[in-house]
Amino acid sequence: MIKKSGSQTELKKNVLEQSLCTGCGACVGLCPYQVIYDDRTVQLFNCDLPDGKCYAFCPRTPADYDHIRKSLFNIDDLTPEIGAVKGYYFSRAFDPRQRVNVQHGGTVTVLLELAMAEGMIDSAIVSSRNNEFEQHGLLVTDQNQLRGYSKSWFTVSPTVSTFNRIPDDRKKRTGVVATPCQATALAKMKTAEIPGYNRSDLPGLVIGLFCGWTLSMGKFSNLLGRYGVSLADLTGMDIPAGKNILEIFTGSGLISVPMAEVDHCVRTACRYCMDSTAEFADLSVGAARFGADCEEMRGWNQIIVRSDRGKQLLELAIAKRALQIREAPPSALQELKNAAAGKKKKALKNIVEKSHSTKNLLYLKSDDPIVRKYLRVDRKRKRKS
Amino acid sequence: MSKLLSPDRSTVLFLGNEAIARGALEAGIQVATGYPGTPSSEVIESLADVARERNLYVEWSVNEKVALEVAAAASFAGLRSMAVMKQNGVNVASDFLLHLTASGTRGGIVLVSCEDPGALSSVNEGESRYFASMLEMPLLEPADFQEAKDITKWAFELSETIGNVVMLRSVTRMSHASGNVTCGKLPTKRRKAGFEYDGPVMDSKTGPMISTPVVAKHVLRQQKLKDVIVEEVMPFLEENVKVLASGIAGRIGIKTFFGKYDGTLPFAGELNPDVVADALGRILKVKRKFLPADYLKDIQKTAAMIPAREQTFCAGCPHRASFWNIHNAIALDGRKGFVCGDIGCYSMAALSPATGYHTMPTLHSMGSGTGLASGFAKLAQFGLDKPILTVCGDSTFYHAVIPALINAQHNRADITFIVLDNAGTAMTGFQPHPGLSVSALKDVVPAVDIAAICKAIGAKVAVSDPFDLAATGRILTSFLADKGSLKVLILRQACALSPEKKGKKTFDVRVDESLCLGDACGCNRLCTRIFRCPALTWDRNKKKAVVDEVICAGCGVCASICPQQAIVKTEVSGPG
Repeated sequence: MIKKSGSQTELKKNVLEQSLCTGCGACVGLCPYQVIYDDRTVQLFNCDLPDGKCYAFCPRTPADYDHIRKSLFNIDDLTPEIGAVKGYYFSRAFDPRQRVNVQHGGTVTVLLELAMAEGMIDSAIVSSRNNEFEQHGLLVTDQNQLRGYSKSWFTVSPTVSTFNRIPDDRKKRTGVVATPCQATALAKMKTAEIPGYNRSDLPGLVIGLFCGWTLSMGKFSNLLGRYGVSLADLTGMDIPAGKNILEIFTGSGLISVPMAEVDHCVRTACRYCMDSTAEFADLSVGAARFGADCEEMRGWNQIIVRSDRGKQLLELAIAKRALQIREAPPSALQELKNAAAGKKKKALKNIVEKSHSTKNLLYLKSDDPIVRKYLRVDRKRKRKS
Repeated sequence: MSKLLSPDRSTVLFLGNEAIARGALEAGIQVATGYPGTPSSEVIESLADVARERNLYVEWSVNEKVALEVAAAASFAGLRSMAVMKQNGVNVASDFLLHLTASGTRGGIVLVSCEDPGALSSVNEGESRYFASMLEMPLLEPADFQEAKDITKWAFELSETIGNVVMLRSVTRMSHASGNVTCGKLPTKRRKAGFEYDGPVMDSKTGPMISTPVVAKHVLRQQKLKDVIVEEVMPFLEENVKVLASGIAGRIGIKTFFGKYDGTLPFAGELNPDVVADALGRILKVKRKFLPADYLKDIQKTAAMIPAREQTFCAGCPHRASFWNIHNAIALDGRKGFVCGDIGCYSMAALSPATGYHTMPTLHSMGSGTGLASGFAKLAQFGLDKPILTVCGDSTFYHAVIPALINAQHNRADITFIVLDNAGTAMTGFQPHPGLSVSALKDVVPAVDIAAICKAIGAKVAVSDPFDLAATGRILTSFLADKGSLKVLILRQACALSPEKKGKKTFDVRVDESLCLGDACGCNRLCTRIFRCPALTWDRNKKKAVVDEVICAGCGVCASICPQQAIVKTEVSGPG
């Protein structure tokens, strides 16, 4: 008897073997078959079930992303470049003490603390580092502990696997800090149609992080080795605007690594990602990049409000004087949109190069309006040259 | 330049052993092994001299059996290889040789036996040719120096044609005399090493390298022999009766013989009353009265009603937990490592893939797992870059593994060697072995410590309880990531049937039905579908897992594999 191949086999064939796995952890923690080990998603044993959640939740399996977008957000808010926008601001923690030892303005930590203090959620999943400096999702139930996890390390954290492991009745009361791929996985959980699976509006809050790419642990560790430091020495990392370098802070000083070198360490999967602003989050937060004075902007975040829940939280943050808000000029939004559109075009170009076809776009549908928009632009340019 | 690398068509004065070495080079050999012994030693010595230049792997192995194992690993990985020894070395290698001829080979492999008629530098005049007849492998004997080179080269082609090892015999007057040899071309291409074992069990190119199913593989080997050479292995009795009959033909006249030669009886497999009755019927031209036509149908119908049962480890067997750990460590490592098997209850990991979780693709004689692993680990230079593991039992360790382990350490073979120490010679009924402080006479005797031996050899040694999946898993994954050294993990847990354990449960184990997910996405019956302890059964009506308390040995391992914590273990207090 020839059995139809199970979801896990499809996941292996369409995602893992295609180097599309982002390491988000969406297929991990649901069952004992998939685990994360050494920065890789490993299938331990064969599972022959059809209609697996692993396949449905993976942000790199084919799905109707246009439908997901339209069912989770107000259609009028949708923009082609950066998804739904209800509002766009510059922000930072109101309390200067909260801006110490954080990434940029400390906005994410402030929002999570507030959401917990106000009872919007009672726990949050943030990413933490283990003894081997690998990241993993950590469930924090005490808002006072959030402060320790407010830095970016530019490697993948299988955060969604931690969300998968918490009991269903607590998921609604949990907030997740998510990269774009993780936010996509969480959006697919909210919209998946699988026999026997009760989808619901989970998790309670998703705060998205802007993300251009993540680093492969192994390659990055080798790169650090060439600069005479190890993962253990890192105290922080940043990409300052306009300098084309990655700044690595260590106990013994700052190392600036040219982007060309960093580029070799980027996970292959990130090259096929269209989303740089976490379009499926309630709110998305990134480093502010605007104007000439980079150093002044360094202490600020930019924030996109996408959903009603996100709007509600931000309004609360302003009212409670937790966040300090600066109106962002329209040109800043345009700058962000241009950068995001650039990422989309590049990703589609890479996908077409990989699949050798403009019809087969791997996990994307060729009739998705966003895909069509940025594929078309690419073609026009080709004709001109 | 060594004269062994003389150009094509040049005529060179070669020692017989050098001619053999040159023939091997012309055949494109990549791995050569041996154990020194007059008159064989110059073959390996002269190949070692050109090893770096020709990119060969050449080693002096710890003994002839290990030499053949290391060469066989290269053959399994598709390379041409050669093991060289003197006549009595073949005796030492013969246990593995028997199993090797049964499992078959891939890349051309030649066993060179240089023998010593007259015992000029030996204390025996042993003949190894009978091994060729007994083990059904072709035997080639060059008669001059040119032939020594040419026939050696051809022996590799023959080996690949028949998919089996070929024996090449030389003698002192050939090996140690010199003569002119006209050279042929040295190949420029190298093969890449790769070991496939996921194919069908009867496919000797892609399946596991094991001798089972024994009869079917025996027939396959013989078929290949018949296809190419007229010479055939003689059935012992038939042949000797014929010799006897020819000696007394004057008295008894010329007789007709029915037997294996004329196809009256098969060459492989057991003779049962049906087979013999059929043969007699053909000889006497009597039509056998067969059973009623529907008899066979009835048998098949009845057989279909018997539930299929696979070979598996007992409930509570430490080997199941060990292979679970091994499988997971290999999967996590991600480089598609594999285990070279050995002889013991754990052989079942090769015979029933579901029992070994598809980790163990080779199985030969006692100690050969470590010898083969030692060989596979040296193939990284030819592209076989994956973790090599091997297992053996505690009794097997003392029996034949120590030399192979020393071989691995001395030749810097990066292997992870796992001793499945179940505190006795379990498979045959718990006879004592040197690791225990009791003798066959029940005297108190010194116990020889496996860990101490391995440490003395220079290996990294760790000891763990295979039932502790987390701790054992951590050690194994760190061992696989630790490249470049010999690692030994001793997994200590007594056999479930051992006298001190039998009938006593450590844990009461049951399934909490309210937590069991069963068929659903979330576990998809990991316990009964993948882990497969015979004590874990599936309740078809409730669609939940159940622990069969009669079969359960109470080891509690399944409690740590259930992702739902639905398998609950409670410690048994006092004597069970």
